[in-house]
Amino acid sequence: MENDTELIEGALNGSLQAWETLVRRYESRVYNFSLRLTGNRDDAMDLMQDVFLGVYRNLDRFRGDAQFSSWVFRIAHNKAIDLARRRHASPVQDMDIDQLPEPGSAQDSPHTLLMNERGNQSIQAMLDSLGPDLRLLVELKVFQEMTFEDIAELQDVSANTVKTRFYTAMKKLRNRLENQDALSPNS
Amino acid sequence: MHCPQTPDVLAASCDLQTGTSLSPELQAHVDGCALCRAELMQMAPVTQALTGWQNEQVPEWNRRDVGLLGHHHKPGKRGRKALSRIPLWASSWQQWAPLAASMVLAVAVLMQTSVSVSDQGWSVSFGGAASNADVLSLPQLEAYLAQYAEQQQEWNQQVLQVALQQFGDHTAESLYEMVTWFDDQRELDLQRMEAGFQQMLDRDYQTVNSMQQLASFVQFQSELQ
Repeated sequence: MENDTELIEGALNGSLQAWETLVRRYESRVYNFSLRLTGNRDDAMDLMQDVFLGVYRNLDRFRGDAQFSSWVFRIAHNKAIDLARRRHASPVQDMDIDQLPEPGSAQDSPHTLLMNERGNQSIQAMLDSLGPDLRLLVELKVFQEMTFEDIAELQDVSANTVKTRFYTAMKKLRNRLENQDALSPNS
Repeated sequence: MHCPQTPDVLAASCDLQTGTSLSPELQAHVDGCALCRAELMQMAPVTQALTGWQNEQVPEWNRRDVGLLGHHHKPGKRGRKALSRIPLWASSWQQWAPLAASMVLAVAVLMQTSVSVSDQGWSVSFGGAASNADVLSLPQLEAYLAQYAEQQQEWNQQVLQVALQQFGDHTAESLYEMVTWFDDQRELDLQRMEAGFQQMLDRDYQTVNSMQQLASFVQFQSELQ
């Protein structure tokens, strides 16, 4: 299997096959990143395509001194901020019941699919309690497992500021989770 | 009550999942700070809940479009090299096709395009109905039919000569067969001629029908706007 560097080189030389392989390698992460940020599938697809368009346009600027995935998510981060600004208030839309994600693969049993769906729905509801900035921070830290230093550099703030914001976000999520548990029929 | 160290402690505990460990100073603080320990305990279910996300499958989409579009809008220094290898017309012409079709239709209607079909092929004229030169007048049609009848007569005579040679002995029976055969041929000719006229009429009807549809379409488009 070709590594990222070879695929990037191939894509820059005009190989659509190399480009497609590269996209397939990262699209799931970018799509689910977009889904958690936007809250609905259509917007997630738009954001994901926007991200990969940005990646393609800037591919010749990738120096290789950082991981390609970090570089992709740097672009994804900027695109998500652009989207949030375009929406002015919040990148999050109320989730339509028909727009609920269908997690898992086609091989999963109906029971697994249902459980996954409920789990994702619950997480989405928790994330809904956050504004765009905090949601993006949680995304980068929890789901993308970036270090606080990297996030600080990305957002051009100090690491301490990032940690304080992260604590604020976690407290809000905890409150939301407690409320969800209180409203749950099983509680 | 709150502890100013809690954000650092929480951040460090999150990094624990990525393999790092608490620094000795932070560990000492956590051991002695009930508030931070309580916060860590209360945050654990949140982290656990979030990491329960099950990745959703990406809906099928055309990944190569991004590549083509990326080249189309902004080929980088090295991207330009790739640009020449990619048939851009494949992605660019389609977006202009509907506009081009609309323009052609609009021009056709505005210029009162007329399409006429004759035995010499078809022709297009602009600025109203086709000229008289393109349309058969009644005397011309009569002349054409007379010429056609004359040709038919000549052909019939040729057929008769061939038939007379074929039925050389002229018995009454063979003469009767000859007349019958001759009538059949004549009937067949009439059918052919009728079919030819019908085909010509159909083509005229199709042309008129097409122009009516074109006019209706343009009128519909203008009403929409």
